[in-house]
Amino acid sequence: MLQIEDVIYSWPGAGQPCLRIARLNIVAGRTVFMHGPSGCGKSTLLGLMAGVLQADSGRVQFLGQDWGALSGAARDARRADHVGVVFQQFNLLPYLSVLHNVLLPCRFSARRASRCEGGVAAAAQALLKSVGLDASLWGRRADALSVGQQQRVAAARALIGRPELVIADEPTSALDAARRDVFMQLLLDTCAANGATLVFVSHDERLATAFDERLSLPELNQALQPASA
Amino acid sequence: MKGLLHIAWRSALNRRGTLMLVVLSIALATALLLSLERLRTDIRSSFSQAVSGTDLIVGARTGPVQLMLYAVFRVGGATNNIGMDSVRAIAQHRAVAWVVPLTLGDSHRGRPVLGTTPAYFEHFAYGDKQPLRLAQGRAFAGTLDGLYEAVLGSEVAQALGYGLNQRITLAHGMAQASGELAQEHADKPFTVVGVLAPTGTPVDRTVHVSVQAIEAIHLDWVGGAPLPASAGLKIAPENARKFDLEPKTATAALVGLKNRVAVFNVQRFVAQYSGEPLLAVLPGVALDELWAAVGLGEKALLAISGLVAVVSLASLVAVVLAGLNERRRELAVLRAVGAGPRHVLLLLAAEGALVTLAGALLGALLAAAAVLWAGPWVQQRFGITLAASAPTAEQWLLWASVVAAGMLASLVPGWRAYRLSLADGLSPRT
Repeated sequence: MLQIEDVIYSWPGAGQPCLRIARLNIVAGRTVFMHGPSGCGKSTLLGLMAGVLQADSGRVQFLGQDWGALSGAARDARRADHVGVVFQQFNLLPYLSVLHNVLLPCRFSARRASRCEGGVAAAAQALLKSVGLDASLWGRRADALSVGQQQRVAAARALIGRPELVIADEPTSALDAARRDVFMQLLLDTCAANGATLVFVSHDERLATAFDERLSLPELNQALQPASA
Repeated sequence: MKGLLHIAWRSALNRRGTLMLVVLSIALATALLLSLERLRTDIRSSFSQAVSGTDLIVGARTGPVQLMLYAVFRVGGATNNIGMDSVRAIAQHRAVAWVVPLTLGDSHRGRPVLGTTPAYFEHFAYGDKQPLRLAQGRAFAGTLDGLYEAVLGSEVAQALGYGLNQRITLAHGMAQASGELAQEHADKPFTVVGVLAPTGTPVDRTVHVSVQAIEAIHLDWVGGAPLPASAGLKIAPENARKFDLEPKTATAALVGLKNRVAVFNVQRFVAQYSGEPLLAVLPGVALDELWAAVGLGEKALLAISGLVAVVSLASLVAVVLAGLNERRRELAVLRAVGAGPRHVLLLLAAEGALVTLAGALLGALLAAAAVLWAGPWVQQRFGITLAASAPTAEQWLLWASVVAAGMLASLVPGWRAYRLSLADGLSPRT
């Protein structure tokens, strides 16, 4: 699914690389928990995995294709076709309805839209049902929902059109413990039902037990290690 | 693209408060630009349409533009009158077909009164040599029996609610409509015998009477003021007919030629006339001089309006740029669902284009409303018809320029958002 080899990444204008990873392999269908403190490069690594950021050197292979070998437009199209993303918060476009937020990926990917059985609207409604969001909320503006409800909408949006990879960037950090556990279970169940690979990032190591694999980014990222400094 | 437009529209609606101010700003700038262009076009059209079929305008020696302005457009005043002997001498020139004397100086409720002869209704033409047409009644007779007869321009009749047989009095000088400063010729009222059809020229706001009537109402006036009643020199209206009412002077005269080829010949004859210093101008040439004189002012006004439009568009750029930092999360969400930097650029540019388009459309409506609203007042005050017609090619060009400039300006925040989305990736570093 995802292979990373000898990747180095520096933010524009920064003198030193913030990410240096020798090797990482994520197998299709697995759920991976990645943890590390703030500033260890978690979001940067997710950006590289999703093809939004480009490595200075090395290779990030996704579904057998090196992101770096693709043009910008091709990367965007590939991400739209195969990747779903859930953020920590501010996941949704506040001015769109719940339903239109879920439909967003299908606006940019005909492939995702074609994978929706019974049409995109029906698929979005089915996903919203599966994440436990009442039909009375579907027409509401996204910012009229609670944070927990918004995260569930974000999960539905990430999963519409059955993308192969779902990236979740600290999606539970804004939730209380009870809602966090419910959301975690929901995300894992829906990913499993869709056959999606899940890369879940959090600084809360207690969540790791629910996942197939656990990765510590400070251990992976050689840029943080004294010898690389 | 349709999806992006939907997102741009919803995003703009979400910030409608701020963006409405920008829309209003662009609308006002567009309205100003279009109104000025409409005014410029209609003034030129009104002036060009005001007189046709007249080959020369003759008056006391002054500037050609000034002569035409007071003789045709009732703007300003004559420096001097011309003698009727001179008018008759010009009429006797072998190349001259007709001469119509014009006497100005009196008014009725702010509208100019023109003393002339019945030949005026026969020879005066406007637009594409269209003759004057009576909507009601007849022309004044020009005889002693019909001495106190008046023919109204269409605007006078409409604005003041006058019809046939209406009794009106004239005021001495160009008094304001309020009549506060007017010295009325109240003892010699006129009866309306005709109302002209609309022409869209200064004729519409003119009250027409005979030159003899102008003489009659001034019989008992000296030095621009009535003789005091105590002097016992008041002349009753019916008694005025006993006096010689043939005018000795006129303000100007319209001249028609048998053949236009002789126009310079007659113009030279007038210029060299030995009786008094006279000037004869060709209306078209005088108009060209007028446009040359006002052209710089027109350009300056248009340039200022253009600058107002530029400032409005700059405010659009500033507002969208200022809000960009708060929208980096929104852009990151779009990037995450597959939007490329070019989509982000298009989104911001589409939003700016929507705002510009809304502002420009509202501005065009405002300009049209302004023409409809101010049209009657401008017609009454200046005799210029503002046409509530379809936009001219120049207006379309100005409107399209505003829209195009707005779309170009929208690329600035679009480009900034593009750069930010490239740098931010999935996690804006705000």
